[in-house]
Amino acid sequence: MEVNEIVQSKAERGFKYALLAPAVIWIIGLTFFPILAAVRYSFANYVLGEGITAYVGLANYARVLTDGAFWYSIFITLIFVVVTVPIEVCVGFVLAWIITIGVPGSKVFRPILTAPLFTMEVAIGYLGVTLFTDQGGLYSSILAALGIHIDWLSTASGGLAAAMILDIWIWTPFVFLMSLATLAAIPKDIFDAAMLEASSHWQVFRHVAIPLAWPVLSIAILLRLLEGFKSFGLPYALTSGGPGTSTQLFSVMADLTTIQFTDFGRGSAMGIVYLIMVSIVITFFFKQMRKRMN
Amino acid sequence: MDNLLWRNSKWASKLVAMVIVCLALCWVAIPFLWAIVNSIKSHSAIFRTGAFIPFLQFTPTLDPWKEVLGDPQTLNCLFSSTLVGVGTTVLVLLIGTPAAYSLARFEFKRMKSKDITLWFLTQRVLPPVVVLSPFYILLAELGLIDTWTGLILLYSTFNLAFCVVIMRDIFRDVSKEVEEAARMEGASLWQIFWMIALPLSLDGLIVTAFIVFAFCWNEALFASAVTSQHAATMPTLILASRSTRGVDFNSAAVNTILAIAPPVILSFFVQRYLARGLSFGAVKG
Amino acid sequence: MSQDHSKNEFEKLSAGYLAGRISRRHFIGQAAKLGISAALLSRIVSFKASAAESNLLDSSPDYPNEAPITKERVEFLKTKPYKGQTINILVLKATVGDGLKYWVPKWEEETGGKVNVAEVPIDTLHQQIFSDLQTTHRYDAYMTGAWFYGDFFVPKEPYIIEVAPYLKDPKYPYWTPDDWIPAMRTLYSWQGKVYGVLFDGDCQILYYRRDVFDKPENQQKFKDKVGYDFPNPPKTTKQMYDVANFYTGWDWNGDGQNDWGIALHAKVNEQGFFHFLTLAAPYVCSPNNKYFWFNPETMKPLINSEGHQRALEDYVKYLACGPKEAISWTLGQGWNLFLAGQAVMEPTWGDLPTFAQDPKESKVRGKVGCTIIPGTTEAYDPIKGQWDKFDLNSCGNVNGGTWHCVISRFSKKKDPTYDFLAFMATKKNAIYNCTHGFTGVQPGMKFEYFPPVGTGKVEEWVEQGWDADEAKRYLDGYYQNLSLPVQESYLRIPGAAEYWHELDVRLSAVLAGQTQPKAALDDCSQSWERITERYGRDKQKKLYAESFA
Repeated sequence: MEVNEIVQSKAERGFKYALLAPAVIWIIGLTFFPILAAVRYSFANYVLGEGITAYVGLANYARVLTDGAFWYSIFITLIFVVVTVPIEVCVGFVLAWIITIGVPGSKVFRPILTAPLFTMEVAIGYLGVTLFTDQGGLYSSILAALGIHIDWLSTASGGLAAAMILDIWIWTPFVFLMSLATLAAIPKDIFDAAMLEASSHWQVFRHVAIPLAWPVLSIAILLRLLEGFKSFGLPYALTSGGPGTSTQLFSVMADLTTIQFTDFGRGSAMGIVYLIMVSIVITFFFKQMRKRMN
Repeated sequence: MDNLLWRNSKWASKLVAMVIVCLALCWVAIPFLWAIVNSIKSHSAIFRTGAFIPFLQFTPTLDPWKEVLGDPQTLNCLFSSTLVGVGTTVLVLLIGTPAAYSLARFEFKRMKSKDITLWFLTQRVLPPVVVLSPFYILLAELGLIDTWTGLILLYSTFNLAFCVVIMRDIFRDVSKEVEEAARMEGASLWQIFWMIALPLSLDGLIVTAFIVFAFCWNEALFASAVTSQHAATMPTLILASRSTRGVDFNSAAVNTILAIAPPVILSFFVQRYLARGLSFGAVKG
Repeated sequence: MSQDHSKNEFEKLSAGYLAGRISRRHFIGQAAKLGISAALLSRIVSFKASAAESNLLDSSPDYPNEAPITKERVEFLKTKPYKGQTINILVLKATVGDGLKYWVPKWEEETGGKVNVAEVPIDTLHQQIFSDLQTTHRYDAYMTGAWFYGDFFVPKEPYIIEVAPYLKDPKYPYWTPDDWIPAMRTLYSWQGKVYGVLFDGDCQILYYRRDVFDKPENQQKFKDKVGYDFPNPPKTTKQMYDVANFYTGWDWNGDGQNDWGIALHAKVNEQGFFHFLTLAAPYVCSPNNKYFWFNPETMKPLINSEGHQRALEDYVKYLACGPKEAISWTLGQGWNLFLAGQAVMEPTWGDLPTFAQDPKESKVRGKVGCTIIPGTTEAYDPIKGQWDKFDLNSCGNVNGGTWHCVISRFSKKKDPTYDFLAFMATKKNAIYNCTHGFTGVQPGMKFEYFPPVGTGKVEEWVEQGWDADEAKRYLDGYYQNLSLPVQESYLRIPGAAEYWHELDVRLSAVLAGQTQPKAALDDCSQSWERITERYGRDKQKKLYAESFA
């Protein structure tokens, strides 16, 4: 482990704390009480208009952990993330490679391929309704012209598939850009040398680019996992969790519980259970990744 | 990264590459085009089968555009979004960059700077909806409901992590020799930071600025909860497409296009910097 | 003793009537029961009438925006009473919000005051209202949906104020709650006191293609296929199903495509469940039973009663008479099917006939028939647990948002706020609102209807582009529904949105074939029990009882 270290004198110690302090104080100051409040709510029964009516110990947690709907939403979210993230990563990386090797027109392709990243999930969700609906939807009509009929929004699997397709559309550019950057950072000579022994750039891709870019790719996977688990705007606008609750991703359920039904007790408990679960996952993932790099 | 890889490849693999790119371009462009088509449709045309090409298959109308642009709140929202985005970005850079430099250059006794960085990252794990109500109450106590200041405060808290994590790795890449040379000349720590490290990492600053701006631009949940009028942002306008008569898909499309335009146009300009910067948070782990 | 008791009762009754808390009909009815003489009654009634209306002018040339208008009001306005004051109103961004914004410049000009209207998405309206009521108090009035009412009355002192004191004061714009059709008045009141100022008046009735129904060939085909004379329009649920089923699957409108018997939409979180509430009402509500939601004694849910179950089983059959994808449709998509001429019936809101008038949006202008929701020959009494037979049990409803404004208890500008709200409620403006489709306002006041019920003029509708006969049919059907003696009760207790959502997702699951009606309703009942526990059973019971008036 390389450490950039300048000999620390007293003045330097003061300096380093002075620089770091504002950020740390800011975060702690502004998140301490909200998180504490959330924890407090999770142990209480909250009713709109009355506030906290009683402290109920672990009842909210028990209710959450035994709620089939909660686990189902985690399960659905897991499927969502497990399908979208690898596709985003593969497609994003391949596209980055193609741009990197210098396909003609790269300069124009790059901005276009990045554009979806800047759309709003809710907006794309509503657009998605008009893309996937059977009544004049664009994608449905294209498929119908090919003789294929899929019940997108009226079935659980169809709804989830539609949400995943749109999510991939929005977030592939994220991986695309990260990959572009890391490929650009690799010295040209390595690729050139590899190309001398290969017959096509795909071979260089497989044997050189992927291994060298793996550290970045794993970070991309991590970040996408983090944000993907919290995916809200898209599924909410597209299906609102329906039909029934079959496409109700975790964040949709949390939003309904906390905002629409003002059930802060259960909503907070849900969020904290989720926080613990995801924290474990990323810590584990981080350690694995560090091992790989070493 | 160019010609050798391309020049020496078989034409078949070049063809495959081109096909993939073309497919990707179509895939990306279609929803945008569809949004434009939707924005000039009347309500009944939105769900009519076979209404794809304007003039040929349906009568386009500018009513949705007139309605949206005629509402003064639309311009207010665009303005709010921009102001809040810029304000947050500036504040985040002001607070986060020094912290990032400190984590990049120095070691801390009780915790490894890597772990401190990890702590910043975990700020992004909690689903925001869980802390929505406490944050609302906090802003209400401070009298900042429906104000730009309130939103900036909120968004800065959420995005500080990105700045710290990304800028830390950028600073680690900045040449230490230059800094050491300056040290020899008797420059103070502060002067080194301000006059050497920062200018050399300008690319990274621009990238971070862009990411933070993009996240603020698209944030819908908190914006719609803590603002009602004065500081309302574009995402609230999009959320408001759903009303008592169901979803207004054509005005939603108009708002979608309006809301996408500024960041997309910006991104055309900042492309290079954006690509480089996004990876820096990762390469050094 | 009993005479004293009657005297006390009568005094209370008179006080309530004169204060405007009790409608004239109620007063007369109750007083008659107490044995009060007709002479005395008529004296009191005419006293009240004259007190309020002696100074009432049909209109004033100086202030053309209000009609009728009191002399005191004319004098009051001359002083530009609210000059320098700004009131803040929170509304939802929707047609009803636009309807309110329309009146702002007119009121400002008349009174000198200013109105600041903030529009928020419907998804955040509830949160915005109650956050403001609990913490920031930045708004003087809120546009509320009727189902929020329960939440307003949770604290000891309700969050909103009643309007009775203002009604008595002649210097405010003139309108009277007595003009309401009683079913609609309920949604603006709580425990007999009026809290809301007139705006919208929603309900769902059955709209159908009268041109298709009237065709003799279709009627004959129906008789041949189904075995009895075509019911034009259907009056019972069985008839409605037979008609819907008959018209499904063949091309009766000549467009080359097979058409449908019924248009519905059932996407989650898109108000689709109102269709079920509307159609299910006559299975459970009857002259013998008014409870649709909970048992008033135990506060246990009634949603999984046999009546509700049968209603859901039939509801599933109705959906089968429409496109399969309808379960994922938004509200507009359901309307679209009818407006495009491809469905022969739709039970829904007054927006449908309004849209039907626009040739750009619809193919069915002039072809829309309107009637009350079909009734049943057998209704289940969930309290007693038995089926009762009827010749025809029809049940009305006030389903929908019935959006209107209520005044915050914390407002420091209650007077100008009420003034603005009442301004929109004067006869002239109320009629404007309901004839102009862009407001999304439906008629809830008797005078908005045509004679003999009210004083509305068909010309006003025709001016707005309505087909004259269609306007008459629409108002006829609407009025019939609102006047039915048996009405489905509207859920107005805290957590109404959550109760409804739990029902909504289960309805959707049944329609998608993911679960069966009985299991879904039992499950719904359990989740409702949990909600009730959270809010506190006794409190919910109390508020449930209060919500009926």
